Amino acid sequence: MTSCCAHTTYRTGASDIMPEAPCRHRAVQLLVALAVALLVLLGCPGRAWAADKSEQAENNAAANEEAGFGLTDFTRYNVGNGRPVKDVDLGYRYPLADDANLVAAVTADGSVLVFVDNKACDVAGFAADAESDAQALRELVEKLDENVSKGGEVLADNPGRGWTVTTATETSCGAYRVRVGVEAGGRRYVSVVPSELAEGSLPSDAADEQGVDLADALLWVDTARLVSAADVAPAAEVSPGERAASFFSELDLRPLMVSLKTSALALAVTFVLGLLAAWKTMGTSSRLKGLLDSVFTIPMVLPPTVCGFLLLLLFGQATPVGQWLIAHGVSLVFTWPAAVLSAIVVSFPLMYRTALGAFEGLDAQMLDAARTLGWSERRIFARLMLPLAWPSIAAGTVLAFARAMGEFGCTLFFAGNYAGVTQTIPIAIYFEWMSGNTDVALFWVVVVILLSFLVILFINVYTARSQRYRERGGAGVARRERKGARAGAEEAADGLEEQGGDALRIDREGLRALLLGDEEEA
Amino acid sequence: MYARLLTRRAAAVACSLALVAGIAGCSPEPAATGSADAAGSDAAEAVELQIFAANSLEKAMPEVEALYTEQTGVTFADTQYKGSGDLVEQMRGGAPVDVLITASSGTMDDAVEGELVDDATRQDMFVNDLVIVRGEGSGVEVGSLEDVASVDGNIAIGEPGAVPAGKYANQSLASVGLYSNEEGEDGEYADSIADKVVQADKVGTAAQYVSTGDCAIGFVYTSDVYRYDGIEVAYTCPDDSHKPIVYPGAVASSSENAEAAADFLEFCMTDEDALAIWAEYGFELA
Repeated sequence: MTSCCAHTTYRTGASDIMPEAPCRHRAVQLLVALAVALLVLLGCPGRAWAADKSEQAENNAAANEEAGFGLTDFTRYNVGNGRPVKDVDLGYRYPLADDANLVAAVTADGSVLVFVDNKACDVAGFAADAESDAQALRELVEKLDENVSKGGEVLADNPGRGWTVTTATETSCGAYRVRVGVEAGGRRYVSVVPSELAEGSLPSDAADEQGVDLADALLWVDTARLVSAADVAPAAEVSPGERAASFFSELDLRPLMVSLKTSALALAVTFVLGLLAAWKTMGTSSRLKGLLDSVFTIPMVLPPTVCGFLLLLLFGQATPVGQWLIAHGVSLVFTWPAAVLSAIVVSFPLMYRTALGAFEGLDAQMLDAARTLGWSERRIFARLMLPLAWPSIAAGTVLAFARAMGEFGCTLFFAGNYAGVTQTIPIAIYFEWMSGNTDVALFWVVVVILLSFLVILFINVYTARSQRYRERGGAGVARRERKGARAGAEEAADGLEEQGGDALRIDREGLRALLLGDEEEA
Repeated sequence: MYARLLTRRAAAVACSLALVAGIAGCSPEPAATGSADAAGSDAAEAVELQIFAANSLEKAMPEVEALYTEQTGVTFADTQYKGSGDLVEQMRGGAPVDVLITASSGTMDDAVEGELVDDATRQDMFVNDLVIVRGEGSGVEVGSLEDVASVDGNIAIGEPGAVPAGKYANQSLASVGLYSNEEGEDGEYADSIADKVVQADKVGTAAQYVSTGDCAIGFVYTSDVYRYDGIEVAYTCPDDSHKPIVYPGAVASSSENAEAAADFLEFCMTDEDALAIWAEYGFELA
């Protein structure tokens, strides 16, 4: 008791700021706050949050100030194809942009053939036969090739490879002839044909005859535009702040919206169903209760994938039940309602178990007392059981919400991974990591940790507050009595005051407050 | 007192209702986007295609889609990139789809058998090579398929049932006796590698395992090397060690935009700008 008092005193400061209100009032306030907060969140147009895929930082241009020239629009084609262009057979071809004037073709033995347009050399001040210029060009090409390699083999890996710079438009290499700037169908190409190509014969046919595979001639082809150094936009130094800004502007926040939407709706359903299920289960015979309890709790014990699989069987096209449902307009698989249903299924047991535990913890005598006063079961549930069990129910609600937010397996199975529709945060984390976007995955991990922390904090604070309320229950009743006195119902209050128990003090006081309050209001 | 309580309750109920309405009204558009607006009078302008594409197309396909949207105004629902087997299962499960592109003939055969796609629209789109990749600079040497047995560290291989790359990998391993079934499925790995094999649910996952260093080597496609950082080709599996790797594409039989879907497939294979994108990402046209 001493410790209780100490505890109470310790907390008094806070409770002065937050005026004590009866449980249900606080509950209502809480619900309102939650609803308003969610509304504000949902009010924000989701589309405005969607990723604005702006241009990536330029990494395909570089200049060598000393040499006086540079490269822009650097592109790497890792493969080509052997299809004819508008019925013109070019052999094996790689695309070439209209304004590209430099081609670096990497041959099968690793050497590099650099083709430069004559005019471009003059404009950019590049001399193909000058050693220093050739070296500067090589450095530029190696650097840019690495930038755009997308993880493939890069030129810089092998400093020993041969480099040939030419202003010709075609050159022979082994059994092949590489031609640049070949025009067909209004576009330009780099094409590979057999070195011995008889007049009038098609490159592909000739290759077949000679038994060479034109696709094997080149490993890959880099194309670029050679310009003077002044024409290369200086590579903007990206500060960490700008990088963060671009990261966040490109970030797709839809998983957060989907998660919140899905869990909020799931929670609304779970809350009602869970409470009703707990209430109804409590009132049934013990044998039936055991059965109901197992059924209601089993989603918590089963792996979520099993739930997802069962839902998929139930609603999917693979089973007669699913076919019947789909024929009757219930087509849920891989839709948003499926995500909500998954969240409901996995969060329901948490709501149900906590509510059931709280209801069973109530004093049965107290409920009986209410019955003797002629209260209907429904009224007892709404006016007595709910308010008294509220702290546990609130905690259960928060847990259920967290569980719904964290649902992964069941949702993935049953609702799939559709960005902006069913892709919740946990699913986004998995798929972002899998597709190599570790930073985005990390962002969501941090968001989830923060959310979870908030949830735990909320439970702790709330439990502490309701604990305090219970401990100070006497004071609460006293205040109610004062209000009652003002309303002129003092005798009734006095009458109940004498019934105070010891071990069951808290519940009896709560009951007294409720019964009394009700009489006042009536 | 009671009145105050009532107002509060009413407020709470109103808020909850508004909340639910907000949720319902916000965007309860199901993933059934492929069929959206088909009935609309301006259907031609509002076509949205749902593509199911093999996981290896994850980086290249969005660029081609963006190009197509720019040129025609046709938009795309969130494209699904999974293991080809998963995609077919997802279609079987009832997911609305307009175009399916898988990474193996076998998975497309399944889709045809299940009457999930229109066989008449089926065409081979790309060919690919199977390679063994290692972490960049890890120095793991693989000179032949036999060398796989002596590699120090885990080996990432796609789960053969769902991931065609895994099946091809197992076929290659079977060619040197490291896997018991020549078909690349339903077999056992040889004892020398059995406890080193890590199965991945997508070919991209296998690449990711190698990229993060969880596995020393992995069996992926050439094109995967271009879409994941930190991996490089250690060895290219000989073409004759596995079945030819082709990517067939087809229009789904349930598609309500079958014509638009066929047009898109045609675009993928013929538009020169689209071809340039495939070329950048290492997808060779079949």
